[in-house]
Amino acid sequence: MSLRSKFDETLLCLRAGRVTLPYPAQPQPAPEQFRGRPIFDAAKCIGCAGCANNCPAREILIFDVSQEIRVLQYLGRRCTYCERCAEVCPEKAITMSRDFENATDKIGDLGQRLELFMSTCQRCGRCFKSPSTLDELKMKGYRFDDIENERWIFRSQSRLEGDPVVDDVEIELD
Amino acid sequence: MHVIWTSLAVLANIATVLIVAPLAQGILRKITARIQSRQGPPVLQPYFDLLKLLGKEDIESGEYPLMQRFAAYLSLSIALCIACFVPMGFAVPLGSAGDVILLIYLLTLSGICTLLAGLAAGSTYSLLGISREMMTMIALEPLFAIALVVGALHTNSLALDAVLGGSAYKGVGIPLSGVLMLAVMLLSFQAFVQRIPFDISEAETELMEGPLMEYSGPKLALFKYAQMAKLILYSTLFVALFVPWGSTFPAPIGWLLFWMKVFVLVLLVTLVAATHARYRIDQAIRLFAGLICVSFVALVLATYGF
Amino acid sequence: MLKNLCQKMFGRSLWVYHANSGGCNGCDIEVLNALTPYYDAERFGIKLVGSPRHADVMLCQGPAMRSTAQALKRAYDAMPAPKLVFAIGSCACGGGVWFDSYSVIGPVEKIIPVSYYIPGCPPRPEAIIYGVAVALGLVDKKVAPVEFKELELPIPRYHPDELRGNDELVVYEKSEKI
Repeated sequence: MSLRSKFDETLLCLRAGRVTLPYPAQPQPAPEQFRGRPIFDAAKCIGCAGCANNCPAREILIFDVSQEIRVLQYLGRRCTYCERCAEVCPEKAITMSRDFENATDKIGDLGQRLELFMSTCQRCGRCFKSPSTLDELKMKGYRFDDIENERWIFRSQSRLEGDPVVDDVEIELD
Repeated sequence: MHVIWTSLAVLANIATVLIVAPLAQGILRKITARIQSRQGPPVLQPYFDLLKLLGKEDIESGEYPLMQRFAAYLSLSIALCIACFVPMGFAVPLGSAGDVILLIYLLTLSGICTLLAGLAAGSTYSLLGISREMMTMIALEPLFAIALVVGALHTNSLALDAVLGGSAYKGVGIPLSGVLMLAVMLLSFQAFVQRIPFDISEAETELMEGPLMEYSGPKLALFKYAQMAKLILYSTLFVALFVPWGSTFPAPIGWLLFWMKVFVLVLLVTLVAATHARYRIDQAIRLFAGLICVSFVALVLATYGF
Repeated sequence: MLKNLCQKMFGRSLWVYHANSGGCNGCDIEVLNALTPYYDAERFGIKLVGSPRHADVMLCQGPAMRSTAQALKRAYDAMPAPKLVFAIGSCACGGGVWFDSYSVIGPVEKIIPVSYYIPGCPPRPEAIIYGVAVALGLVDKKVAPVEFKELELPIPRYHPDELRGNDELVVYEKSEKI
């Protein structure tokens, strides 16, 4: 802790000048392979719901309005930018842009909603008599996540119904 | 007539302290930032901080809200009181109203404001902060008192104008005691103005800001203002006691020279603050204890006229 | 007039209190990165303070957990008005991947009102500074909701009974009955 060492330390730091990046004034692009916000390309999407099944945060909701119309809603709130949806998409319709400037004051700004036309097969088609509600439940391919409340509807047996239990324990502080 | 001049001088001193104190803090922050190789806040930043704090909501919290209010008002008023007894390029404004003993008491009282603030909050963190501040004050205030007393011994008077005119060097022959006290004060100056090697009690993220924990809004502005003013006040006292050369020039040049000396001292404080780490309380007390021994030697030498 | 001045100065000097209510500390490190010389946040007048009573902005990270929900609410209540809350990271914005865990109540906005969201996992320090700049009004926000509708009604429907022809040419002949 001699005086000389402090002096040298000051000169060393002063020699570096000013290293601050002038960030909001000048744009600072992210490096290659940076995973930013996913962009859903509606022209390429075939509505297979692979991305929705693979998302670890359950951020992509699928709802079948009718036989031909499937709504795919990406809520941006919980997305961790992990790129699992883009990896599994068969048509490469999801690209992770290098866009990290996603700050906003309304969380709904990050959402992307696609309404897709599920074209019918020319031969066998999907246009048969629409099944009853019971048949809809048994049939694979029909998805009805809860778009109004923005929740996934889990269809596996191991999942219990209802919200997880909260607010049941009062934790006293000091 | 005399009354008018005195009151004008008092107002001039107070206005100078109020205007220059945040500027000195801003320069300090900017230079610290440049030493750390970054672009710091603008130099007028402390003015913005104080204005913003004035606009916040005032929450009375803690165990003794009345004492909280009292401590906040006391801190800035003590700082401005001290400003009336300090020469800032000219003579001491209220020189006939007080002497060195009053100055020593006022300086100690400004340290007590922080203790009252911490007591008013009453939480564990603030009590820990004020215990450390008490230990520091016990070891530290005697140093400045002994410096003033050495000056008083040399000039055989307790009047402020005489003592604060570079009196530390006025002994017989080589000013041994003056040089000793200069060294002691330089080593402990950082502690008086509560900067980095010794800011043990306040503004410390270890203790959640210690005594000032429960303050918000305008009262916090008063405390921060008092802290900024202390830097300027102690610097001017140091310059008046130990660096008197050049104060005999006529009016504008003497004043400018005085303030240049003060800013050189502020620069020195900044450089030391930017390159050191904070001391632990026991390391600091050990240092101050050593310095008290040296200053007793200087006191003894001053009694014998050296 | 003094009040106007004080309100204008609010944006020039924001004091920040950092509250992590159960996150993984990834966003903590990025916030601390934003205070280092490279991405200096102090040039906007931002200072890190140790007590919520001194602060204007609370930076929340991590989802709201059952154990820390009360502490978070108390820290928010201790801040003097006017105050802002920034939710940093995907966990604070929406719950992250832990949104339905047994100990997580949800995003931070279930406990305290949030003013600005900065998503990312973790967000880059530039993204945090961008969020601060959006809050201060220096830049405009870049995201907007995207909606895409691919279809126009009425949709032509093809029934296999109405497709005539074989080989290469398949002709759609609508029969009278539907």
